[in-house]
Amino acid sequence: MTARAAGVALVALVALCLAAPTAGAAAPRASLTDIESQVMCTTCGVPLSIAESPQADRERAFIRTLIARGQTTSQIKQALVAQLGPGVLGLPERHGFALAVYIVPIALIALLSVALAVAVPRWRRRGQDDDEDPDAPARQLSADDDARLDADLARYPG
Amino acid sequence: MKRVLGPALAAAVAAAAVALLVFGLGTQGASRALDNAVDQGRRPVAPDRTLPMLGAPGSRSLASYRGKVLVLNFWASWCTPCAAEAPLLEQAQHQLSATGTGTVLGVAYKDLTPDALGFVHSKHLDYPSLRDSDGALAGAYGTDELPETFVLDRQSRVVAISRGQITRPAFLAQAIAKAQTG
Repeated sequence: MTARAAGVALVALVALCLAAPTAGAAAPRASLTDIESQVMCTTCGVPLSIAESPQADRERAFIRTLIARGQTTSQIKQALVAQLGPGVLGLPERHGFALAVYIVPIALIALLSVALAVAVPRWRRRGQDDDEDPDAPARQLSADDDARLDADLARYPG
Repeated sequence: MKRVLGPALAAAVAAAAVALLVFGLGTQGASRALDNAVDQGRRPVAPDRTLPMLGAPGSRSLASYRGKVLVLNFWASWCTPCAAEAPLLEQAQHQLSATGTGTVLGVAYKDLTPDALGFVHSKHLDYPSLRDSDGALAGAYGTDELPETFVLDRQSRVVAISRGQITRPAFLAQAIAKAQTG
C-alpha cells in the first residue's frame, strides 16, 4: 500500500468518525428566544427580543403556535415573512430610498471594477516601457543625496 | 486629460452621494401629497397595488372596484381606535350595499392573518379586506398611523381623507355623497 493510499484511507476514516455521531441526530428544536432575536417587531421597528407592544406580543404568540406544531426555525421565519413581509427579518424595503441599500454597494463595486480595468493596464504599460528602455536616463539625485551616496560608498573598500 | 479624469470622477461620486443623501432626507417623512391635493379641491388618483384577500382566495387591486364608490380603511387587529370606529364603517357598508353604489374595503396593515380574521369576526364586519403584509400600499398613501380612511370616487380618485379615527359619522356621509358626484 503506497503512502498516498494510506493517507487517503486515513482521511476517509477520520471523516467517517466525525460524521457518524451527527448522522442520526435530529434538527435542533426551534426556540422563541432564538427566533425573536432574528426577527423584528414590524410596527415597532426594533428586534422582537426587546419589543414591547401589542403587535410584538401577537408575533410571539404566533411563533409559539408554530413551535408547538413542530416547525423549524427556518419554517417559522418563512411563515413570518408570508404574513408580515420581508421587513420582519430586518431586511430593507425594496422601494423608495431604502433601495439604495441594495443599489449603492453594487454601483460602487461596478465603479471600482471599471477604475481597475482602466488603471491596471496603464500601470503595467508604464512599467513595461521603463523596462524596455535600458538607455533611459536614470533619475537625477539631488546634490545632498549625491554627496551622502559618495560618503557611504567611500566606507567600503574596493 | 489624465490629470482631469481622476478629480472629475471623484467629484461626480461625491455629488452623487450628496444627491442621494438629500433625496433620502427628503423622503423620510410620510407623504402628504394626497392631503395637499384634496385640500386644494383636486381629486388625485388613488395609489394602487394588487394585494391578497383576507380570509379568501385570490388577490384584488383597487382598479377592480372602479365604477363604485370606495371607502378605503387601513386598520390592524391590535389598533384600539380601529376597533372603536369599526361600527361606523360597518354602517357605511350597509348603506352602500343597499344602494349598490359602492363598498367599504379594509386593508389589514402588517397584521397576522389569524389575528386579523379574529378582528373581522369579533366586530361582525361584512366588508372585504385586503392584506398589506409589508405596508407597501399604506406607504403609498402616506399612512403612518392607524386608522386612516380614504374615500374614492367611481374613477378611483381620492375625494376625502381621515388621518386617524373617524369620530364624526357625518364625515363618512358627506365624503360618500361627494364621491358619488363628479
